Amino acid sequence: MKRALVLCPGRGSYGRDSLGSLRGRTSPALDAFDALRASLGRPTVRELDDAGRYSALRHVAGEHASALTAAASLSDLELLDPARVEVVAICGNSMGWYTALGAAGALSIPACARLVETMGNYQKSDEHGIVGGQLIYPCVDEQWRPDAGLRRAVDEAVADIPGLHHSIFLGGQAVLGGGDEALTAAIERLPPLTRGAHRFPLRLPLHSAFHTPLLSGAAARAQNELADLPWQAPRVPLVDGNGRSWRPLHADPAALAAYTLGPQVNEVFDFTTMLRTALGTYGPDLIVLPGPGSSLGGAIGQVLVALGWQGIRSKDDFVARQGDRERGPILAAMRWPDQRAWVMDSSNP
Amino acid sequence: MAVDRASIVDGNFREAVASLPPAPRRTDLDAPVRHGAAVTARRALAVFESMVASRHLDLQARVLKGRGEGYYTIGGSGHELNAAVAEASRPSDPALLHYRSGAFFVHRGSKVPGTTPWLDVLLGMVASSDEPIAGGRHKVFGSVPLAIPPQTSTIASHLPKAVGAAFSLGRRSRMGLSGPEPDDAVVICSFGDASSNHSSASGAFNTAALADHQNLPCPVLFVCEDNGLGISVRTPRGWVGARFAADPGIKYFGCDGLDLVDACDTAAAAIAYVRRTRRPTLLHLRIVRLLGHAGSDVEQLYRTNTEITETEARDPVLATARMLVAEGWLSADEVLALYEETRTRIAALAEEAVGRPKITTAAAVMEPLAPRDEARIAASATRHADEEARLAFFRRLPEADRPRHLAMLLNRALGDLLMAWPQMIIFGEDVARKGGVYHVTADLQKRAGVGRVFNTPLDETAILGLAQGAGQVGLLPVPEIQYLAYLHNAVDQLRGEAASQSFFSQGQVRNPMVVRIAGLAYQKGFGGHFHNDNGIAAIREIPGLVLGCPSNGPDAVGMLRTLVAAAWEHGQVSVFLEPIALYMTKDLHETGDGRWSFAYPSTDHTVAIGQARLWSADALAPEGAETAPPPTLTIATYANGLWMSLRVAARLREEGHVVEVLDLRWLAPLPAEDLLAAAGRTGNVLVVDECRRNSGIADAVVALLAEGAPGCRLGTVTGLDTYIPLGDAANLVLIQEADIEAGARRMLKP
Repeated sequence: MKRALVLCPGRGSYGRDSLGSLRGRTSPALDAFDALRASLGRPTVRELDDAGRYSALRHVAGEHASALTAAASLSDLELLDPARVEVVAICGNSMGWYTALGAAGALSIPACARLVETMGNYQKSDEHGIVGGQLIYPCVDEQWRPDAGLRRAVDEAVADIPGLHHSIFLGGQAVLGGGDEALTAAIERLPPLTRGAHRFPLRLPLHSAFHTPLLSGAAARAQNELADLPWQAPRVPLVDGNGRSWRPLHADPAALAAYTLGPQVNEVFDFTTMLRTALGTYGPDLIVLPGPGSSLGGAIGQVLVALGWQGIRSKDDFVARQGDRERGPILAAMRWPDQRAWVMDSSNP
Repeated sequence: MAVDRASIVDGNFREAVASLPPAPRRTDLDAPVRHGAAVTARRALAVFESMVASRHLDLQARVLKGRGEGYYTIGGSGHELNAAVAEASRPSDPALLHYRSGAFFVHRGSKVPGTTPWLDVLLGMVASSDEPIAGGRHKVFGSVPLAIPPQTSTIASHLPKAVGAAFSLGRRSRMGLSGPEPDDAVVICSFGDASSNHSSASGAFNTAALADHQNLPCPVLFVCEDNGLGISVRTPRGWVGARFAADPGIKYFGCDGLDLVDACDTAAAAIAYVRRTRRPTLLHLRIVRLLGHAGSDVEQLYRTNTEITETEARDPVLATARMLVAEGWLSADEVLALYEETRTRIAALAEEAVGRPKITTAAAVMEPLAPRDEARIAASATRHADEEARLAFFRRLPEADRPRHLAMLLNRALGDLLMAWPQMIIFGEDVARKGGVYHVTADLQKRAGVGRVFNTPLDETAILGLAQGAGQVGLLPVPEIQYLAYLHNAVDQLRGEAASQSFFSQGQVRNPMVVRIAGLAYQKGFGGHFHNDNGIAAIREIPGLVLGCPSNGPDAVGMLRTLVAAAWEHGQVSVFLEPIALYMTKDLHETGDGRWSFAYPSTDHTVAIGQARLWSADALAPEGAETAPPPTLTIATYANGLWMSLRVAARLREEGHVVEVLDLRWLAPLPAEDLLAAAGRTGNVLVVDECRRNSGIADAVVALLAEGAPGCRLGTVTGLDTYIPLGDAANLVLIQEADIEAGARRMLKP
């Protein structure tokens, strides 16, 4: 039995090669999201997944990507084999926090779907719903070793460029948020870099400047529109974007709601601290990354390396551990069949 | 073989909880946890989780010890309701915790997002360099984000600085300054019943009460965790309550520290009282000690089985579980699930801790001892107020004054430093209106204000405790110890506490200070030992501490500027030993020659730590003398020895002997490079050490040169190993110019 930390991904999880990944899946979570979306006259998650081709407007836009990511992640978690995996804590990156709330039982799945739909729809691509934007920039080298120069360049850019904010501390990467002018200035200022197939600074298309003060209006609106969400204490411990544990025995649902619809929206989201404290508080054997993509794996690996968690002190260590057939991977990204097999009931397709 | 009490306590808990009868379920967690309680069920459950975690950390410590992976088993079993104090206080209230306050530590951590107190404690047990505060140098409860400066295992020695920090919060506010903790913070300090009998503790209680008696704010909460035992020695029943409930200067709150409601509600009342009134207060938690003193302690040697069993039956974790089940907040199964889940988590975290790195080099061990950036210090040491402010302070710029003696130049340097560093405070016995026994602090209170230059009680432990506390809350303390002999009753405050803080916190917690001490001998027979102490071994042996000892005014000014800058820039703890006999010395060779009076050096004059000063033969020659040939002897000395050696060298010069004199100035660390350079120049070094042979620097200098300059001829002239007598008899045991001259002549012989 592995003790697992579940880390729900943010909306960037659903990518081009995720298309069709939910096809034929029986899932109460998919049903709940689809029922809600159908009632709102929006294309269902299954319809989006089943589309013949991948399109930015249908799969990247916030009003669809959020639901795709959350529903697919929750659907994956339904497949976990309780004989193989004991979930000891749950956390989520950015909007993955909403998924985590549903997975931990702080919100019912239909209530979670409503939260995801509401927040996702604030970023509706066709109604000028997008507020500002985000870009991503690495602060580590190819081997995930911290690069103080890059970190300083980012910090100085945030300090100097009006309206530019830290949005997510994402392991070895910085996600910055701000208005168009601020982001353009940042892109001009930060030294261009190539990491793998990507060039940085990389503007994230169709993203609002979540986790910055620009979203304060959205937070206020959500507090109003979602005032009746039925919050409860989670069944499984939750770790939020400040590294705070919400404990099943005594978590205050009202405080959980206030955080989720307040600072979680308009203050910096510290993924690094979240993962560090989740590991250092619950001591999991394994991190489970549900959902259609695995792009968060790099950020997770970077945090593990920075901690030296389970002896992983470099990217090479991480890669080696992922291929360790005896111990199993440290990260089970459910997108990949071999890693999924470590956590899934083999009798379940 | 000794019975494993840890297993028994562990088993008792599980067995007793499993047999608890169910009660009707309650779900309104914001209701009082029990009828009449102020603490809610929600907060009580959070405290209970921390108690369980603390218990399992103790149990895991024994597992790790058994595996040969852990190095520390002193725990907090029976003390778990110290978590109630963490619950009642704010995470920003500085807390100086003793080694049984683990539940406090983990509970405060549970209130501060982003911290991992369980893992941190385990990393401490296995001495991993990843442990965030001490980096494997000791197992301590310490954390910057939790406002918990680490304390070591010395008994009650942290109480004086807790009082110092509490006092300094008010002083800081009065000075218009702020720091990391809010002005209405409460300083918390925990200790055991046995420690409460220590004289350091008594001094701290007295100092706090004395401040309060003068209506000076001193918001300190002493938390006495009274388990009735000091290792094997019983504290007489009722003693702690009787002693403190009757103390007129300290407000007393007592409670049953085995009952969650009493502990939480009383702790909340005590904290609220201190925060509101700013008055010293003591919270007496009556508790028990389980699992013995430490893992290696066999309690059966000094307690009967019946006593041990009866104590175990009073287990506060079990009592809390019983209450929570009886009140309907948890089922027995939920308690057991939490208990076992916590055990599993801590075991998993322990495995992680065991795999983490250890300190592997001596250099890494010592890294926090002297993290000095000399260039940064030098730049900072020239900091000074503008001319207008200096004129307003001094009326006439001191550099425009005629040459003056050491005491006068020091007085002016302190004035300049008070202006340059608004966070600096000067305190000690008689330093205020009297201006010190030797007038070194004359008029400073009048000019800088009573808030910044003030008298203290006659207690060196309190003075150094205040210095530490003041430094920790962001002030820059320059305490004075009136005579060197008076330091020794309080030297643990430097050795065990102040100087070790950087070591046990990797420089994260600072208590910068420059301790001025008037010392050394040659007061013309006056005063006897207590005013002529010449033993410095107790200072020199303190790791990381800087000891400066000037011989003249300009050097003293430059050195003091450097030490104040090093304190501020790096948290340096230093002692500045001022030679009393030279305070008023104006002449060198002849009465009235004025050659030991000097002009006040300009504000850019500094002296780097570890840099000696060479008085060459030319510098000693009378005006118009021919340039001296190269010297054939170096006299290495300091303070009074320097003054005497210069006189001897001048006489020898008249005979044609060329002797240079090296003023070491820094007695720790010694100016090694300058000494080696001198040995290279003359190959002939006489160490003139006015301190006692077994308590000075001669042996260290000789060892340094014997190893670093093979072939160098070495000799010593030192004081004798005795206390200094009264009257002229003092000269029999102190080095005299004739001794130096004889030593030099010996060394000058081919």
